[in-house]
Formats: sequence, structure tokens, C-alpha cells
Amino acid sequence: MGRSVWKGPFVDSYVLKKAEVSRESGRNEVIKIWSRRSTILPQFVGLTFGVYNGHKHIPVNVTEEMIGQKFGEYSPTRTYYGHAADKKAKRK
Amino acid sequence: MSDDLVCVGGISGSYGVHGELRVKSFCAEPEAIETYSPLTREDGSDSFHLSIIRPVKNGFVVRIAEVATKEAADALKGTQLFARREQLPSLPDDEYYYSDLVGLTVSDTGGTVLGTVKTVQNHGAADLLEVLLPSSSATVLIPFTMAAIPTVDLESGRIVADPPEGLF
Repeated sequence: MGRSVWKGPFVDSYVLKKAEVSRESGRNEVIKIWSRRSTILPQFVGLTFGVYNGHKHIPVNVTEEMIGQKFGEYSPTRTYYGHAADKKAKRK
Repeated sequence: MSDDLVCVGGISGSYGVHGELRVKSFCAEPEAIETYSPLTREDGSDSFHLSIIRPVKNGFVVRIAEVATKEAADALKGTQLFARREQLPSLPDDEYYYSDLVGLTVSDTGGTVLGTVKTVQNHGAADLLEVLLPSSSATVLIPFTMAAIPTVDLESGRIVADPPEGLF
């Protein structure tokens, strides 16, 4: 069963505080967080979070498409890179 | 492995008794392996003209023109298939093949060398460059964005990075 709508999305309070401080300072920095369970909110768009995967902080640039997902979805806990082959990287 | 060869797949073994093979594709679009034919071994030897017959679980059943019997197909089990770099289609600006980025030297805007690109990863957000620090086995992930990576110079093998605070 999904989370009740009346509660709103779950976000750890320290994530909100860190994001707020970073946004106000305007600095280009990685916001280190351990809360993989927090929901990505619209006010996080444009910020870079370092999401802990149990080993290190994976940089996650938040974009509009990611709103509503959890931070943990972008920071895998298992190592599998696959082959480079003809895969392409696009600078955004 | 030569720099101008890119691993695009591998032969898992024979399929049936008529010299067909089971091939696993590593390409972004698995069917694209056929378009890079002829493929070679890692040392550039041999030439495999490959045509896909049908998809199967974890790969494709293919026929290679140079392979006619099951015995010949069995002998190729475990062989990795390589395409020449020039066979890959050219890309628009600001798009790069992972294989082109791996090995480039990363320096900061002041010219200080930060390391070399070990791998390129994508976990659903932006692409990430895994940079191997000099004289260390430690690595750092840098987002592959215009802000963090303002310059990519493939000809000189150099990337200029302006990483966000807190990464290094």
C-alpha cells in the first residue's frame, strides 16, 4: 500500500536544511547526504547531492524529471559497470 | 588491446548443429552489433562477418560467414568481438563515446593534474566520470556536465574540470 497523500512526501529534515543553506549560499558544492529514503522535491532541482551508497557519496545532479523519486534510486549499492562499447555520454 | 578497437560483444558458444553461434552484445542498442561487422579479435586478427538470425535470451543467434560447422563454432566460445573505432558513427557536439573518454587526463582550471578517467558511469542521473587520482588507487566521481567539465579536448587527450566543492 502506498503512502497516504495527506502526509505529503517524506524527506529527512536535515536534507531540507542542507539544501536550503546551499541554495542561499549559491555556492557550487556537493551536498553530502546519507538519506537515500528522502523524496526528491521541486526545490532540489539544480542542486548536486552526494548520495551515500554505503561506500561513498555518488554525485547526483537533480533535474525536473527526478522529482518524486527517492535519492537512493540514483546511487546504486552494487558495482556493475558493464562494457563501454558504443555507449555515449552527453554533456548537459 | 589497440586504442582503435572497441569491444562490442562476445561469443557465448555454438547454437544448434549447423554452425550458428550465440553472441552477447555490449552495445547501447544490442542489434547495432551487426552494423559494426566485420568484427575482429582483440589483437585485430581474423575477420568475422556477422548477421543476426534471431534474438534469444541474453543475446542473439548469429551466423558468421567464416564459420560453417558446429566444431568451428565451439572453438570460438569465449572470443570477444571488437569493432574498429572508425566504424562507430560520428556524434554531435557535446556527445562522446565512453571509450573515447576513458584514459583522458583530467586537470583543473589552473592546470593542475587531477587524474585520469578510469570509467564512465550512468546511474540514471547525469553521466559521471570516475577519475583515478595520481599515485593512488582512490577514485573520485565528477558529474559530466557543462558546469563541472567545461572543456573536453579529445585531440590533446585532455579534460578541464571545475568540480563542485567537496568532491576532492
